[in-house]
Amino acid sequence: MKRPGWWSLDMGAPFRLGPRVLPGRVWTASGCFGYGLAAHDFVAADGSGPYAGLGAVVTKTVTPQPRTGNPMPRLVETACGALNSIGLENVGFEAFLATVLPELEARGVPTIVSLAATRPDDFGPMARRLHEAASGFAHWHGVELNLSCPNVAEGGHDFGSSPDTVARCVAAARACLPDRALLAKLTPNTADIAALAAAARDAGVDAVAAINTVVGLDVDLATGQPHLPRRFGGYSGAAIQPIALAKVDQVVRGAGVPVVGVGGIASVEDAVKFFALGAVAVQVGTAQMRDPFAAAHVAAAIGQWSSS
Amino acid sequence: MAVIGVVAANRLVSSSFHRLDIDLGRPFTFRPGQFVMVNGAGPRALTFSRPFSILAAEGSVLSLLYRVVGRGTAELAAMAPGDAVSVLGPLGEPFPEPMAAQVTILLGGGVGLPPVHAWWRRWGRPGDVACFGARSGAEVPWDLLGDAWRVSVDDPDGLAPGRRAEVGVVTTLVPEAGELPATSPVVVLACGPLPLLRAAAALARARGWRCLVSLEEHMGCGYGVCKGCVVRVADGAGERNATCCHDGPVFDAADVCLLAPREGGSA
Repeated sequence: MKRPGWWSLDMGAPFRLGPRVLPGRVWTASGCFGYGLAAHDFVAADGSGPYAGLGAVVTKTVTPQPRTGNPMPRLVETACGALNSIGLENVGFEAFLATVLPELEARGVPTIVSLAATRPDDFGPMARRLHEAASGFAHWHGVELNLSCPNVAEGGHDFGSSPDTVARCVAAARACLPDRALLAKLTPNTADIAALAAAARDAGVDAVAAINTVVGLDVDLATGQPHLPRRFGGYSGAAIQPIALAKVDQVVRGAGVPVVGVGGIASVEDAVKFFALGAVAVQVGTAQMRDPFAAAHVAAAIGQWSSS
Repeated sequence: MAVIGVVAANRLVSSSFHRLDIDLGRPFTFRPGQFVMVNGAGPRALTFSRPFSILAAEGSVLSLLYRVVGRGTAELAAMAPGDAVSVLGPLGEPFPEPMAAQVTILLGGGVGLPPVHAWWRRWGRPGDVACFGARSGAEVPWDLLGDAWRVSVDDPDGLAPGRRAEVGVVTTLVPEAGELPATSPVVVLACGPLPLLRAAAALARARGWRCLVSLEEHMGCGYGVCKGCVVRVADGAGERNATCCHDGPVFDAADVCLLAPREGGSA
């Protein structure tokens, strides 16, 4: 697509997000590109790699301890999207710090580290350890808090659905991250996402990412039971794009905090809709699983658009 | 890696096996056991691409074998020459090359034929034993197998005139240990449904043979990022999850759990 006449962002200019300048406004979303390393040797037909033009790779979410994740099956394709119940399988925070983040740095991958925990108080120590261990890293730009896992310490509800808890998680991380960008990824499974965004803003985020997956369920007709052993999964892909656009709009107009748009973005046209609503950057998620170059293609197409 | 190719041919090669030839427009190489993720291009793309083991590649033309089992393969079956198709690959760990003096027993079940067939074409030697099992006589793709493969069928119905097939499971085609050279190490390479893989693993274990299996799983990405295709592996490094797509699809049968999720084999 050609640059629309109303376009007002200068995509080639430095993209300042809080205390950092990122190399672009098109990112990959957490959970859909691993830690950003599995595709490092992939080469497109034009010779470019999958990181070309990307502003950031948001890593698969890392938790304080390693997690084996949920039972299989973990993925279900639906008519226009996907349900997942991966269960935050990851190598654990210390192994990530020891092996994964240094490799991302060595490869020059612009990185946002996604963190989750089962207690709000865990975010502070993780942010502090990151700050200590990676303070010299040039390509580690910040942290995105994944607030959509159950809050084990406080009754099992997602922390992301309570403004107070969002504020506590953000404040804990912010205090330990003076020189990196801090984002909170917001859940759409709430009546008032603008309230969550406002809480995150007041606690000190540089931006919010909207949206995380939508709670969904699909039934296996062969058994009459939910496909996923845990019944519910996170719904993503093309079907959630209008939901994401609505939530982004509510946050932009209702909370006045920078928004990184995410939800069903697979093409330039998809991305442009989020920018039209005021998103400062976008993330490509589920489409990245189908095509490791999906985000790079979007970045290549719009990365040099100027404001005039 | 991700290439938009063009369907060169898409035809039935038995009662239910389709062969899809895709011209990728540039040379394509692979190692037997590797696979590709395939999807429609543009508006025909499904949320997830589908994994297919590579049957063959000649020049720029990649060949796959499939049976229509769901939405993705139904879309493939509807493709006509000239249609665009997205291909990501080759992906995954292949079957190993043979050691000197190794005797290899190849076991393919149903549409699990491609990786062992590709291995046999690339590395097969006189003395190797190639075995294929199908549900029915009509399902056997004789043009691919010729006379070199031993064939078993659950049901002989539809067997082509002049063709022979044992009735039973594919492991019954494996020669007794005494019929194989006593001094050569024997390696079993198997791909097919889980019962076949379990039977192959049990047979190899009983006879002291090495057995490598190529697993089939639903996959989200095919390149190790989504963790949607994990299997349980227990080896010298301990018990852990491994991705079928990136760590596999080829695993040592002694290390990998060959139970389906509902049989307790889940991660």
